[in-house]
Amino acid sequence: MSDEGSGSGEARQGPRVLRVSELVAALRDAVESAVGRVWVVGEVSNLRRAASGHCYFTLKDDVAQLRAVMFRGDASRLRFDLEDGLEALAFGEVSLYVARGELQMVVRDVVPRGVGALRLAFEQLRARLDAEGLFDPASKRPLPAFPRAVGIVTSLHAAALHDVLEVSGALWPSLPLLIAAARVQGEGADLEIIEAMQLLATRPEIDVILLVRGGGSIEDLWPFNSEVLARAIARCPVPVVAGVGHETDVTIADLAADARAPTPSAAAALVVPDRRALFERLLRDERRLAVAIEAQLARARARVASRADALRHLAPAARLAAWRARLARSGDRLRGVLEAQLADGRARLAVAAGQLDSLSPLAVLARGYAIARRLDDGRIVRRARDVASGDVLAVRLAEGSLEVRVTALRPR
Amino acid sequence: MANADTPAPPEREALPFEDALERLEAIVDRLEHGDLALEDALATFEEGVGLSRRLGEQLGGAERRVEELLREGAGLATRPLDLESE
Repeated sequence: MSDEGSGSGEARQGPRVLRVSELVAALRDAVESAVGRVWVVGEVSNLRRAASGHCYFTLKDDVAQLRAVMFRGDASRLRFDLEDGLEALAFGEVSLYVARGELQMVVRDVVPRGVGALRLAFEQLRARLDAEGLFDPASKRPLPAFPRAVGIVTSLHAAALHDVLEVSGALWPSLPLLIAAARVQGEGADLEIIEAMQLLATRPEIDVILLVRGGGSIEDLWPFNSEVLARAIARCPVPVVAGVGHETDVTIADLAADARAPTPSAAAALVVPDRRALFERLLRDERRLAVAIEAQLARARARVASRADALRHLAPAARLAAWRARLARSGDRLRGVLEAQLADGRARLAVAAGQLDSLSPLAVLARGYAIARRLDDGRIVRRARDVASGDVLAVRLAEGSLEVRVTALRPR
Repeated sequence: MANADTPAPPEREALPFEDALERLEAIVDRLEHGDLALEDALATFEEGVGLSRRLGEQLGGAERRVEELLREGAGLATRPLDLESE
């Protein structure tokens, strides 16, 4: 620009000529002193995470935009992930990057707008793990109906433990409980919880594990939103039941567990069976057994009794008496028959005897005939020529006998 | 004889709770059905009562069994729960 000056003896001043570096440096100084550290509200876009871990993005609103960088150290302290579209307040220093002549904000911290940082982190993690299938209902294991022992991960000082002990004491006091202590809030608590879970999982009699803590802020419950804890729960060989916080609190651990209970007491009730109901059932079963066996014995006894009755009718003494009676009746009848036959026989005998009589040689003799026998050999003589004159013969008469000598023979 | 109606062998002592309960229920049903021979019925009844008694024992008494599990050297150890100490 030209200076219309008065023509005095002063040296004429032309326009200021700066070297680029001088100009840019001057601008940088101006920006830094004018703005310095500031909170800026805007939208994150064009986010790029370099291999170095530094995050390069743009903060913008409707009208303008500003390049930004968040170095690895600062970025790692964020609980949530930076993502395109995030409405946030960024805190840091604005400067001019001299080598490129570019305005840039070095962001030291980011606070999400409209939702808390932790809540945002929770939502981001939940979406990511859900997409991985870590919360898949199909992968949830069934809880054992009658666990041999229950493992509990909790702080020894927590009210949660007291609640669990009380509930289990009411339901089944003698059921073995094994407790592995762990901090349930603060930095690194999630690692202690994992260690405790793994300890319990090595005991074969532990059939289910409870993860419990009482209510608190999202900050307090934060260890249960840990990604490594969620993965450890999914990998745990024993079913895990989470009872964290109050009913309305949902943590990543709740979602990853095989079952979720609204409170520690509810978790205990979910896992410990009510032995009173079982006692009653056993009593009923024993009663039913007794009734059933008694009925069976009664039936058997009845069968024996009826057989005994039948048997009595067939007993030897009775049989014998019956036989004797029959025998007596038969005997009478037989005698009657025999006597009749006897009488009949006698009559016939008399007739036969009479007939015999008339045919008997004695009757013949009675008619005057005689029987002659040789005296020497007793043979009956029928022919005169069988004897010689002088032989002695015995002669039988009807009455008595004679000894005679043959004096003469007449053959015919 | 190899069917489920017949009396079980003595190794049933170590039967897990749930299985023993199921076996007991099966025995009660069978006995109520009433068609076992008397000897089998008596043996089955005995088994049922034995199961019931053993299950009752497992349900246990009033004594609590609460222990803390911790690492001890290379292995694990249990100790009675002490809620008073730090």
